[in-house]
Amino acid sequence: MRWIKSLAVAVALAPTATWAQTKIDFFFPVPVDGKLSREMTRLVKVYNDSQKEVAVTAAYTGSYDDTKLKAQAAAKAGKPPAVVLMSANFVLDLKLAGDIVSLEPLLKADGTTKAKFLDDFWPAVHANAIVDGDLYAIPFQNSTPLLYYNKDHFKEAGLDPEKPPQTWAELVDAAKKLTRSDRMGFGLPEGYDYMGWIMEALSMSNGGRYFNEEYGGEVYYDTPSMLGAAQFVEDLVFKHKVMAQGVVEGPALSTTFLAGKVSMMLLSTGSLSFVRDNMKQPFGVAFVPRNVRNAVPIGGGSLVMFKGLSEEQKAAGWKFAKWLSSTETLGGWSRFTGYFSPRKSPYDTAEMKDFMAKNPEAKVALDQLPYAKPWFATYQTVAVRKALEDEIQAVLNGKKKAPQAVKDAQKNADALMKPYVDQTALKLP
Amino acid sequence: MTAETGSLHSASLRSGRRRQRSALVVAGLMAITAFLWSTPFLWTLVASFRPETAGGIGMASLLPDYIPTLDNFRNAFESGDFAVYYVNTAIVAFGILAVQIVTISLAGYAFARLSFPGRETIFYVFLLQLMLVPPILIVPNLRTIVDLGLYGSLAGVMAPYFASAFGTFLMRQTFRQIPRDFEEAAVIDGAHWGQALWHVLLPMAKPGLIAFSLVSLMAHWNEFLWPLMVLNEPRTHTLTIGLATFALSTEGGREWGLLAAGTLLVMAPLLLLFAIFQRQFVNSFMFAGLKG
Amino acid sequence: MTSVAAAQAPFDASHARPVSGHRLQRRLLPWLLLAPSLLLLAAFTYLPIGRVAWESLHDKPHATGKTLFVGLGNYTALFADKAFTQSVANNLIYAAGTVPASMALALLFALAVQRATRFNAIMRAILLFPSMVPLVAAASLFFFIFLPGVGLFDHYLAKLGVRGANWLGDPDVALWSLIGITVWKNAGYYMLFYLAGLTTLPGEVLEAATIDGCNAWQRLRYVIVPLLAPTTAFVLVIALINVLTQVDHVIVLTKGGPSNSTKLVLYYIYEQAHENFAYGKAAAASLLSVSFLLALSVFSLKTMERGAHAAS
Repeated sequence: MRWIKSLAVAVALAPTATWAQTKIDFFFPVPVDGKLSREMTRLVKVYNDSQKEVAVTAAYTGSYDDTKLKAQAAAKAGKPPAVVLMSANFVLDLKLAGDIVSLEPLLKADGTTKAKFLDDFWPAVHANAIVDGDLYAIPFQNSTPLLYYNKDHFKEAGLDPEKPPQTWAELVDAAKKLTRSDRMGFGLPEGYDYMGWIMEALSMSNGGRYFNEEYGGEVYYDTPSMLGAAQFVEDLVFKHKVMAQGVVEGPALSTTFLAGKVSMMLLSTGSLSFVRDNMKQPFGVAFVPRNVRNAVPIGGGSLVMFKGLSEEQKAAGWKFAKWLSSTETLGGWSRFTGYFSPRKSPYDTAEMKDFMAKNPEAKVALDQLPYAKPWFATYQTVAVRKALEDEIQAVLNGKKKAPQAVKDAQKNADALMKPYVDQTALKLP
Repeated sequence: MTAETGSLHSASLRSGRRRQRSALVVAGLMAITAFLWSTPFLWTLVASFRPETAGGIGMASLLPDYIPTLDNFRNAFESGDFAVYYVNTAIVAFGILAVQIVTISLAGYAFARLSFPGRETIFYVFLLQLMLVPPILIVPNLRTIVDLGLYGSLAGVMAPYFASAFGTFLMRQTFRQIPRDFEEAAVIDGAHWGQALWHVLLPMAKPGLIAFSLVSLMAHWNEFLWPLMVLNEPRTHTLTIGLATFALSTEGGREWGLLAAGTLLVMAPLLLLFAIFQRQFVNSFMFAGLKG
Repeated sequence: MTSVAAAQAPFDASHARPVSGHRLQRRLLPWLLLAPSLLLLAAFTYLPIGRVAWESLHDKPHATGKTLFVGLGNYTALFADKAFTQSVANNLIYAAGTVPASMALALLFALAVQRATRFNAIMRAILLFPSMVPLVAAASLFFFIFLPGVGLFDHYLAKLGVRGANWLGDPDVALWSLIGITVWKNAGYYMLFYLAGLTTLPGEVLEAATIDGCNAWQRLRYVIVPLLAPTTAFVLVIALINVLTQVDHVIVLTKGGPSNSTKLVLYYIYEQAHENFAYGKAAAASLLSVSFLLALSVFSLKTMERGAHAAS
């Protein structure tokens, strides 16, 4: 490993005339809108202009799914991207598939350790960056679910717009008052991906864990905490009748919220800027209501490095990734996008304090952070997540009852993880 | 028709009137269909000039009940370099077409005019291309593109489409419908097969070529997943990739007005092309089906 | 290629050449003409198919990095997977919902706009517009149109006093919404082929049928439809291929949900290969669908050629 270090030093010290620039690819998805894509392109240009050793080519690569597909295809074809902004809960699966590299040697070459490196990052984002004790990703943009509510509707319904519901009981109570023939009191984003994240939020608020943070072969679907969450969702639709029947996708939910057809919704903090820019009526945000405790999952994207890079590219990619995740860059990106910064230090800067004062909703999102927990990530993350989502979607459509749904979800998830479990926890001497 | 026999004159008069009435019914039905069929476009057009872009009750209205604004188009232009996208998309779509015309004419001629062992089998082997599902091809084809040194280039996007089973099939049919006498006359005059193909067959196959061009242009102008996989830099991006930067979002909301404006920008050249040449296009399809 | 071949045999020389050389050239000519296409197809079609066939017999257990020969194991695993059998069932419904409807509409459209009038020119353009929209955009537009409560559909249905449905969020409705989009998108395209086919009908036959006292329906049923059989066979092949090879709208609109109700075979393949790392199963499913399509096409094209011979 020493020679990597000396190489890195050599690259850093070498006069640019004798050393060719190291060219690397950076893939990024745009989860919110086109403005972010332009901002990212601008950031990369700033980086390229700031130094001469590394030339980064930034490629917009569609959604998180498209990005994963493209990065894997490019790596298989022998053109791995050096740095990829990847959905944070794909990290475990990518490591298991052998697609990404451990960042530990690079840390060592820098003379630092994982603990020191992660010290400035919020504790909640650590777990999704670490696999089997090694660092595999650098958190970059993060979010949690948040309760959004329409203040005008609250006033109309005789509710205090400054006192949003804090518990499930208060939520049901408020939603009942808010529901009218032409509008629903409450809504959840229920398409694939979002549904799993929201069920994690609800089961955690109900005291649950959803998955084993330490081991990729266990999920807790058939448990009282998840059953309670599933039953709560069923009741919101069929018992309390405050939520639309059937599956409502995230963009559909936000559009109905903006149109005043839904009074409260759970949605990502990543949507804050979007709602602020487009909402005509005054709105407020609050913590995700609790039943047993306050708890929310982290979401968002992390930087990973792909296998198959030359040592120069690896060093160059690491350098770029460190710059992207620096206090300054993360602070600016957070203010621009509405994601929160995974680093703590940007919040000590004057710009950020100023921003927080002007945007009280962003403050709520930050205040919720101490209650944040890792995003689910297992062997076959997507399939295991869909095993639950398919069942909850059936509940939302009145095709299944909650107790049966969580039982079936558990059975399907266990079957999906069996190959991994057989090779790990159940592989006995 | 009716069994009662009036004078021939009155019968034809009656059937003429009936024909008129049924023509009117058909026209009415077609007008309704046309309205239903074009509703998504009407909405796109109306929404693209609407001031509120993200939601609101009025978003679904088909009536332009607002003061039109160009904001959505301005945002679309700011979200991406549309001039570059247009050029790249045109290079891809027309580049593919140009090479295809050569490959399908040659192959079509071989299948239609020459006899050689295994002709039938090879023809069906050609057709395999139609059956392949694109997502399965992504990984192996990307590897081939890298090996050829075309990764990240527009040529890499185009290469897999240079041969076309559909086009070969169409040209084979078209050539078969042209009577052999024409080229035989040319060959007897001392022309080489290449000259016969170039001077006699291709000009007569023009309708078939135009019909194929329309199909090919539509397909490649609008393609998304494959260019996204191959291209790596904003300066090589095509229209659909540019559109996707604001059409596809996983978190948060969608700006429908912006999406509508972007969609119009992507479609406009094709629609314009078709509006101008629609008679030629449709006629070419008709002639392509003509039997000799 | 043309210029190379022509340079080798300028026509004067080819005439003067002895017979044996001429014959050799004749024998080589077809292969020369097919060479560009065959080379390209080999690189981008046959090679991948070979790879898929090989992968369908192997398994790369996720997270092990090993490749094992499993024989027909992937195929048995495939049929044991409920999601696969459901995707086959969904695809059958999808085919039954889209193919006859879009083909019947295409024929009716073609008959209606057959004559070249200005009104018909506009009509043809409108009917063809949907096939010109990029699917990425069309799917996003339909996402809005189908939005529950505030979308275009529900907005106008509410004005008519009809309560809309959750078009994409109800497993009983979602597949039919996708079928609607597909019919809308493809009918105009198939119309082009019928317009072409209609011009080949001998006018005398139609006139004779009219004089014989056939009404419009009888003319359609007993004269036009049988005469158009070759066109129908061709359009049928294209339509069936589309049923199994177009999946963008599923990717953008429903991702196979809710509860697997819109999972088509191709989406299943996409999901297995790119989400679940189950390349073997994906390869087995692809190979099955390719073989099915090929068998079907060979059969229909044979029928069509027979039809064409019979008609001429």
